[in-house]
Order: sequence, then C-alpha cells, then structure tokens
Amino acid sequence: MAKEFLSKKGVEFTDYDVKNDKEALKEMKKISGGALRVPVISVCNNVLVGFDRDRLEQALSCFKQSSKIE
Amino acid sequence: MAKITIYSTDGCPFCVKAKSFLAEKGIGYEEIEVLPRSNGWKEMKKKTGSGSLPQILIGDEPVGGYSDLVHLEASGELSQKLGRAGKEEVTPLYDVIIIGGGPAGLSAAVYAARKVLKTLLVSEDIGGQVAWTYDVDNYLGFSQVDTADLIAKFEEHVEKYGVEKLVGVGVKTLELTGKIKKVITGDGKTFLTKTVIFATGKRPRLLNVPGEKELIGMGVTYCSTCDAPLFADLDVAVMGGGNSALEAVIDLMKVAPKIYMVSLTPITGDEILQDKVISSPKVEIFSEYKILRIEGKSTVEGIEIESLETGESKKLSVQGVIVEIGLLPNSELVMDTVKTNRIGEIMVDSGCRTGVAGIFACGDVTDVPYKQVIVAAGEGAKAALSAYDYIIKQR
Repeated sequence: MAKEFLSKKGVEFTDYDVKNDKEALKEMKKISGGALRVPVISVCNNVLVGFDRDRLEQALSCFKQSSKIE
Repeated sequence: MAKITIYSTDGCPFCVKAKSFLAEKGIGYEEIEVLPRSNGWKEMKKKTGSGSLPQILIGDEPVGGYSDLVHLEASGELSQKLGRAGKEEVTPLYDVIIIGGGPAGLSAAVYAARKVLKTLLVSEDIGGQVAWTYDVDNYLGFSQVDTADLIAKFEEHVEKYGVEKLVGVGVKTLELTGKIKKVITGDGKTFLTKTVIFATGKRPRLLNVPGEKELIGMGVTYCSTCDAPLFADLDVAVMGGGNSALEAVIDLMKVAPKIYMVSLTPITGDEILQDKVISSPKVEIFSEYKILRIEGKSTVEGIEIESLETGESKKLSVQGVIVEIGLLPNSELVMDTVKTNRIGEIMVDSGCRTGVAGIFACGDVTDVPYKQVIVAAGEGAKAALSAYDYIIKQR
C-alpha cells in the first residue's frame, strides 16, 4: 500500500525486499533503530516504521521543498 | 443555517422532485401540504406572490418552484442563501457507505455499484486480514494465488465500477439511528448515507503486558506470516497455544535458531502441526505459563514468564515476541447500536441485517461462522443486495 501511495504521488523510490535480501534487512534494522516490521520507509532524513499515510505525506514535504530549491 | 419550507400538494410531480432533490443533497426542509384555494394556499400566495405548487421559501424569502431551486443550486447561490460557507460543497447523500476494505467490503462495493447505488468505501487499508498471509489456496478459481495479486484483482474489480474510495482513513463516530445516517471520519469529515455496511473485520488480541505497546514493530509483532522472515538469526518467543501459534512456530523454524512457545493453556492446535513443532530441536515449549512483561530499551531484549502451577518466574532472552492469541472483532463503533454476541461479533440474520434499519454487516466482524475469504466475499455480496432491497422499499 505504501508503494501504491508513493506511485500515485509520482514519487520515485527504491524497493528493497528485506525478506529475501539479508544485507537489506541488516541495513533496514540499522537505519530504523532495530525495527522488525515492514515497511520501513526512508525519506530525506526521516525513517518511518510502518505505513501511516499522514506521517508519510508530512515526510514527503521535505522532498518537495528540496526539489523546489533545485 | 436558514430553514427551507416547501408548500406542496398531493399528486404534484414537481413537489416530489423538489423534495427528493433536497433529500439527495442532505438538506432538511419543512413541508406544508396545502389544497389549492384553501386557507393554507392563500397564505402561501400572500407570502410568495404565486399560486402554483410547489413554492419554496428559504427563511422568509420565496425562491420559486423546482426549476428555480435547481438553478440556485447550480449557480452556488443555494449554499449562500442557506448560510453555509460559500465555497463548501453541499454534502452528497450516499445510498451506501461501506466501512472496511477487506474481501467482504470490496465484494459489497462491487455488488452495490452494479445496482447503481451511490457508494462510498471508507477503510484504513485495502485487503484487510487476508493481507497478513502470503498466499491463498482455497479461493474458488485460484488453486494458489499470491495474496497481493488477489487483493489487487479485488481492487481492480471495484475500480472498474468507479466506486468512490477513501483509503487510509478510519471512522471516528457513527450516527445510525435516523433515516439518514452520518459517518464521521478520523479527519473530521461528515458523510451522509441511507445505509451503512459494516465490514471492519478483526484485529489481533493484545497481551496487555508492560513493554508490549512500546516495542510494537521493534520486535513485537502480531503477524508471523508477514514478519517471520525478518526474525532471521534471532531468538524468538511465540505467545499462544492454538493453530495460529503453531503455524507461527513452524514459519520461524525455517529462519530462527531458537523458538520458545509460551501458552496459558496446554497446546490445543491440530496434531499434525503439534507433531512438527514438538519434534523440532529448535523449539522449547512452556505451556501453562503466563507472560509478565516484555523487556528492552528500544528493541525487544527478553521476556519474563511465570508458571501457573508453581508461580515460579523465568527470564528468556529473545529479540522477538510473536503474539498469536486470537482475534477481536472491530465492532466497538456499533456496540451500543446493534446486537453483538459474547465475543463482540455483530449478530446478523441470513440477509446480513443487524436489526437496526439500514445497517448491515458482513465478513469476519459478524457472528457468521467460518472466517474465510470466500465466505466474507459472499457475505459482502449479500449485505449489498440487502441494502439495495432496503433502499428500494424506502422509496
């Protein structure tokens, strides 16, 4: 659902399958302070554990700002 | 808001049109029936300057008949005259609002849309509980299908009919007793509808011990099928003694080096599953033990359990706690309005009716036995058809 949400927003993202990729799982745990739940979404300097539409939308605002600066 | 008054009489088609026009928009009105040339009619003529029917007044201001009303609405003046915020859209009246986006809710949406009911689906997610599994092997026509694909197909089917959806939003309160029902969502919006189909499913039961809520997602999970692979190379504890708990242990046996199974009761699940679990050297079972707390600063570091028999407590070092102690129906919102059974499931008849006019329920939130995707989908269809019948009879 998070992926669908991002696609609809027209946000490009990289998808790591942590269930089949141990390195990605390790990295996910590292950046999220040990989360054992998916999805973990890294946006700009924010790491969100779980899909929460409002929080994700808020996090994406940094993305919009930075692209405006460009 | 200014009040609307309609002067009408029997057998007047434009009176009926004007009234249903307002009802469709969710706008209340007072109706005064008058016979031509009666005293009431004379009074109407005095107020409006016209003797034709219907005559519509907003507050004290006469606005004319049905076509004038439609014209006012189209130009946006109706809202202004009613004293609503100028730009605010007039809330539409739905035929049916479906709450829940699992197989029951999605199936209800398809059936409602095919009956050309004005339908809105409100749900926190799409897929519901079925999304907690990887594949489905018992849905007719699919001997084995990836759950994500099946849900995508369900959603595609709903989208084909252009059903309005509000996903990612919960429902905060419901007003279900009037003829027009109100659904108020978590973001504060109010929706009006003639019927409500409740398809909210179930959620996992919590342990209710210290440390649990704080560590959700940080080692505590309620969905072993979703999360088992994440516990690779970690020691874990599975809470529960039924089939779901045994299946969780079996999933974890593939990835985790050590699995503790902690159950309040003796293990009760199917023998085939029990045999698999008991014969694994990785598994240690603590039956008739209760959990006291989950420990850990930012992630799970261990649990403390206590023997029901001896009262002796024990600490187990684990990095994961998988809770599989059953499910609770998401029926709290309607608990006071509709009848529920001992475990909180909404009681429905064979037509998914709850006993409250215009309120229907389907899927796992109801007392219908056998919680299966195909059963939920069938029940969703029935609920939508019952809602349709109800609306037709109200006309």
